[in-house]
Amino acid sequence: MTGRRTESGGLIDRGTTLRFRFDGRAYTGHPGDTLASALLANGVRVLGRSFKYHRPRGVWGAWFDDPNAIFDVALEGNEIPNCPATTTPLVEGMEARVVNAWPSARRDVKGGLDLLHRWLGAGFYYKTFIWPDWHLFEPSIRRMAGLGALDGKEIPDYVADQIHDACDLLVVGGGAAGLAAARAAAEAGQDVVLVEDHPELGGGLYRSGESVEGKARAEWVTEQGATIAKNGGRILTGTTAFGVYDHGLVGLATERGFARAPRLTRMRARRVVMATGALDRPMTFADNDRPGVMSLQAAAEYLTRYGVLVGRRIAVLSNNSAGEAAIEALRAAGAEVTEADPGAGPIRALGGKRLSGVRMGEKRLECDTLLVSSGLTPVVHLWRHAGGKLDWSDEKSAFVPGAAPQGMMAIGAANGTFDLEPALAEARAAALGKPAAPTGNSYSIRPLWPEPGTKGRQWIDFQHDVTLKDVELAARENYISVEHLKRYTTLGMAGDQGKTSNMAGLAAMAAIQGKPIPEVGTTTFRPPFVPVPLELYHGARRGQLLNPLKRLVLEPQHRQAGAALGEYGGWLRPGWYGPKPADQAVRDEVLMARKTAGIFDGSPLGKIEVMGPDAEAFVNFIYYNTIATLQPGHIRYGFMLTESGAIYDDGVIARLGPERFVISCSSAHVDGVEAMLESWRQDGNDPDRLFVHDATQHWATVTVTGPKAREIVGALGLPLDLTRAAFPHMTLRESDFAGSPLRVARVSFTGDVSFELSLRATKAADLWTALIDAGAQHDAGPIGIEALSVLRAEKGFIVVGKDTDGETMPQDLGFGIPRLKKKSAFVGDRGLHTEAANDPNRRQLVGLTAPEGSPTLPTGAHLVTGDRPRSEGIITSSYFSPTLDRPIALALLERGAARQGETVTVWHMGQVRTATVAPPCALDPEGGRLDA
Amino acid sequence: MRDDSRKWDAPPDDSQPLTGMGMTVARVWPTRQLLISAPDVLARMPGAGWPDVVTGAPYTLCLRRDRVLEVDGPAREEGWDGVQAVTDVSDAYAVFRIEGPQALALCRRGTEVSLARPSRSVARQMFGLSAFLYPWENEERFCLHVPRAHAQALWQMLAAHMGQMQRSA
Repeated sequence: MTGRRTESGGLIDRGTTLRFRFDGRAYTGHPGDTLASALLANGVRVLGRSFKYHRPRGVWGAWFDDPNAIFDVALEGNEIPNCPATTTPLVEGMEARVVNAWPSARRDVKGGLDLLHRWLGAGFYYKTFIWPDWHLFEPSIRRMAGLGALDGKEIPDYVADQIHDACDLLVVGGGAAGLAAARAAAEAGQDVVLVEDHPELGGGLYRSGESVEGKARAEWVTEQGATIAKNGGRILTGTTAFGVYDHGLVGLATERGFARAPRLTRMRARRVVMATGALDRPMTFADNDRPGVMSLQAAAEYLTRYGVLVGRRIAVLSNNSAGEAAIEALRAAGAEVTEADPGAGPIRALGGKRLSGVRMGEKRLECDTLLVSSGLTPVVHLWRHAGGKLDWSDEKSAFVPGAAPQGMMAIGAANGTFDLEPALAEARAAALGKPAAPTGNSYSIRPLWPEPGTKGRQWIDFQHDVTLKDVELAARENYISVEHLKRYTTLGMAGDQGKTSNMAGLAAMAAIQGKPIPEVGTTTFRPPFVPVPLELYHGARRGQLLNPLKRLVLEPQHRQAGAALGEYGGWLRPGWYGPKPADQAVRDEVLMARKTAGIFDGSPLGKIEVMGPDAEAFVNFIYYNTIATLQPGHIRYGFMLTESGAIYDDGVIARLGPERFVISCSSAHVDGVEAMLESWRQDGNDPDRLFVHDATQHWATVTVTGPKAREIVGALGLPLDLTRAAFPHMTLRESDFAGSPLRVARVSFTGDVSFELSLRATKAADLWTALIDAGAQHDAGPIGIEALSVLRAEKGFIVVGKDTDGETMPQDLGFGIPRLKKKSAFVGDRGLHTEAANDPNRRQLVGLTAPEGSPTLPTGAHLVTGDRPRSEGIITSSYFSPTLDRPIALALLERGAARQGETVTVWHMGQVRTATVAPPCALDPEGGRLDA
Repeated sequence: MRDDSRKWDAPPDDSQPLTGMGMTVARVWPTRQLLISAPDVLARMPGAGWPDVVTGAPYTLCLRRDRVLEVDGPAREEGWDGVQAVTDVSDAYAVFRIEGPQALALCRRGTEVSLARPSRSVARQMFGLSAFLYPWENEERFCLHVPRAHAQALWQMLAAHMGQMQRSA
């Protein structure tokens, strides 16, 4: 054990002791500790195992950049998998267990896998386990792979709070630069929000020099925070800006404690100042993954924030000037620190689970801890999320922010300004939207990148076990693009998302190809910046609220009638009624509707009004059919097409007056049709002479259909003559019911006499009750949408999207005349005259009959031909018709209209049957029932 | 064919207001809501935008450059009258009133809204639903119109968020 707690210093509360367990052993820590800092203070070195080789790992970093120490943590019965030990605050009673190892991180039975490393290189799984069948190996490989496991228990009240917020200026990062920027902006009267992911302000300031602008660090930090707050600025600690999205939207995740979902703030900022600091890069040398090899910056962080001295005999390998203060601090804390030259020869870390030294060329240096820094990498993730460019700086050997995305500035170390004084000046200028005056730069670095061809196993991605040799292998196999390299080797795909590995990986690939690093480029930076629970995005949108259905105003009546409710086209609608099995209930409802009448809630049918001087010309343009000749009080069936001529919707349109139409489109298409109408209204038409109002939800619609429909509607006592002569099919009358306006339409989707009655929704219950009562006198009753589907299929009436596909055109359904004769322009006209539209082999709507006694044909089955079957069509709807006492089906079939009477082969899931092509209409083809 | 009735709660009793955190959410029933569209409708009937405080009745809400919603106004002939297009949508929108010091905070859980950021229109997405949102009588009272078929979803969403606010307090 080498790490220890210092007597003083840090931000922890030494007056309180917290007890916790790791891998079954008891330890103590203090408030302010993370799990990682507490374990280091207890001298624990092995905090994890690598993903593939199960190599022992210590911590590399002190915050979000650590890829190694990942625990499943339990507290008070709640367990959270995959907690990064370096960012999980210590809580009394925590039980932490390492992931991907058993029985402990120190003694992992799978550690022997490392002996097989020669056969487990990058992409080995693409090349092995092929014979006899990958699926034989897959289950055991999957069991071995992965990190933490969910325990299957739900954490009570684990619901993310979600809020929206806005500000003038969002400062991301509460270090020296961020604090200075936030203070300057707040004092200038801006609405400022400062976010810092640590529980305390200060960022990396604690590990830098002794004082800031003549004040002790803690005092300076406190003063900045107080001044920001005094001037109305808001400070959110424990909050990570995890992503930048369109139009200045920044996602903020605020920690709320263990087993409590973080709070999501969707922050809309006019300007964002990124003060996210910079990270130490690992150095690539042989066995650089040994426990005890750690970031120099992290060691300083553990010392100054957590009061933990990570080693006693420390060797430092650094190629830059940024770590000088850290080395001073480590020495001052009592460590024996030896600085070594990383260019002195091939480097190899020595030891196993415990570091024993480091060899540099012929020289061996004894040490228990090896702190390394191969340069600072600005944390530019948010910059790239927002679309900002990166420039390569030879001077700093790093990518730094280049061309800025709109509304964003980078300051401090995140901008490559590693010196404190210039960073503060830059921050104060940025707060006011100004660039800082250029200043000198004391940061110096001697480039030190991975050297392909050198000996030893040199780790690039610690968590995913990607080595320099893996990168070389990828290059040999021509995965030379960094995006391909990433996917082939999984480099950068670990929990830290490449924060420690990407630079080394792309530098290695650059060296292999003999290219400068900027020519190789970086992979894409995507949110989230750190892992966040999926619950963060979830919030209250769960269960019924995940995708809420539209609800019928008559739902209470349907529930009372024992309706089986289901989703149909975005609405919760009755599928059938009563306690009988579904098939039987639907059968009974169909027979009732054909014998007496069915009463159906058709409220979701569209009621989109088109009004204005140009309304007639507009609907004539929108519809495939000619609508201009439609007279007031009349209704016409028609199609709306896409520009390519495919059927988008079908339905009826009624004319209420010379300049007023009502479009009754399909229930599921109302929103889409309205959007389409608005789109065409504003494109090619005069929007000042034409208006579209969607009144669908103002109305409830109850349809009475069947031979007794006229009597049932007649029982309402409406002031209407319902006789066939006075109220013919495809006409509309406006009336009133109990003092409310009522529209009665003679349209039918069943082939029987039908009346559609529409009145304002709040009055619908009275109408429904009156019709149900009247229907009961004729043994009629409610029918659900399943029965309606059978009724319409018996007549060969289509449902768009079910009996049509994205290529079906009106002529495929037997509606070819407007295509040939309509003189005025209409949407889709050109599409109907293309070569594809005139293909003689187009799929056309047909009916199918099955051989006597055979079961219902399967929906979705292919209609095939030839010895080597080729699909000529597909069954789109198929039911058993109670009315005809036989199966019926609709299908789209190549040249179907000319193949009446032909026997076709039906193929479905390997089963083969036969059917005979028939007209789509299986019941009452003469239409006698329509006006009975 | 599937019976999913039990997956979906029966419509709640929205005659009783939701209360908590010093707030009240209640459904209200305007006498009349009319959509009125015309090229010059805003010149003739300048509707309230966000965050204009609406007082008394009748009042009009600006929905877009050529459309207002008139609330509790006089009865008007529907259709195109040569000047404007009118449609009765009284039952198309369910209306809720949110009152209390935390009312705006509750609204901000569902939409990006700030009294300091005006909008010519009261139309916005709220909790993923189309909505009209505006202050009513003062800046601690807000009216919210949503398509009627989504009234239950909004009610449940508001209840869920009020609960979260209480737990977070």
